[in-house]
Amino acid sequence: MNFLWEIFDKNEISIMVLIAIAYTIFFILPFKFKREITWLFMLLGFTIGVFFDFTIGGGLFDFFKLNDTDHYELFDFCYYLIFAPFSYFFIYFYDTFNVNKKTFIFYILLWIIVGVIMQWVFTKLGIVEFQNGYEISYSFAVFVITQTFTALYFELIRSRFRVLKNI
Amino acid sequence: MAFTIFFVCAWLIISVFTVIPKRLTLIENTFIFLTTSVISINWTWIINEELKYVKITEDPSNYAGFLIFRSIIIPTLLMVQVNLYNPSSSPVKKALILIASVLCLVLLTILSRVLDVSDYKDWNLGFDAIYYVSLHLFSIGVSKLIRKSTRIEVKQP
Repeated sequence: MNFLWEIFDKNEISIMVLIAIAYTIFFILPFKFKREITWLFMLLGFTIGVFFDFTIGGGLFDFFKLNDTDHYELFDFCYYLIFAPFSYFFIYFYDTFNVNKKTFIFYILLWIIVGVIMQWVFTKLGIVEFQNGYEISYSFAVFVITQTFTALYFELIRSRFRVLKNI
Repeated sequence: MAFTIFFVCAWLIISVFTVIPKRLTLIENTFIFLTTSVISINWTWIINEELKYVKITEDPSNYAGFLIFRSIIIPTLLMVQVNLYNPSSSPVKKALILIASVLCLVLLTILSRVLDVSDYKDWNLGFDAIYYVSLHLFSIGVSKLIRKSTRIEVKQP
């Protein structure tokens, strides 16, 4: 058991590249939200990743293997860090495109497709390996839940607090 | 059996959280819930699955009870604790709230052993109690840090 990595190869390098791309975009985009809103939704994305992975991806269900092994290692943690900016992008464009009651379903569907494609890419890069009968189509349900929840939670926060910096 | 008991406990704690006067904003409460969830999930994984200090049941319904305890009861109880702890002015009252909350988690941990959800291999209740105290102090720290470093503006109705 190695807490850093099993074998440093394609999946570890891919995670580093993905983190670099995601966080570069995060810093390039103008910061439109107040600091606590940015932190909150990044933390939410990270926690959702951790929650689902440790609930259905490990333990009794053990539907997928991360980074060559079922053991917890540094690059598993790095993998969850990718979820944080994506959660931010989700609400960033939700607000930018003024998603409303008419466009809500389409916006969620679009992000579900993005999520499923990303998961497919993760399997091709060897970051995620499905097991125990899990299929990528099941991830559709996971993304429906997480993205609908994130959007509704953002609506709730926006209705109660000032979320934008310049208002 | 464990599933039912932990489900009822979760309902009870969520209900308590719903009815208590909340001194923290929704954003602050969410920060506490999320940060303590991440720690709770990672801690249980490292202790149970990596170091094998505690053996978790392989019975699906009991395992569901374990998941409810780890992911719902612990973070929600910590939110309740911080909401009661922060407005208390007397140190004795603060200490009593913290002790009562830690005691709740210790009792639920004992219950999970009685119901065969978990079984100590190279671990004891004292270590769990230390962990719970640390988690409580951490949640209080998070609430103070958020209040200090942000300026949450509530919209006027």
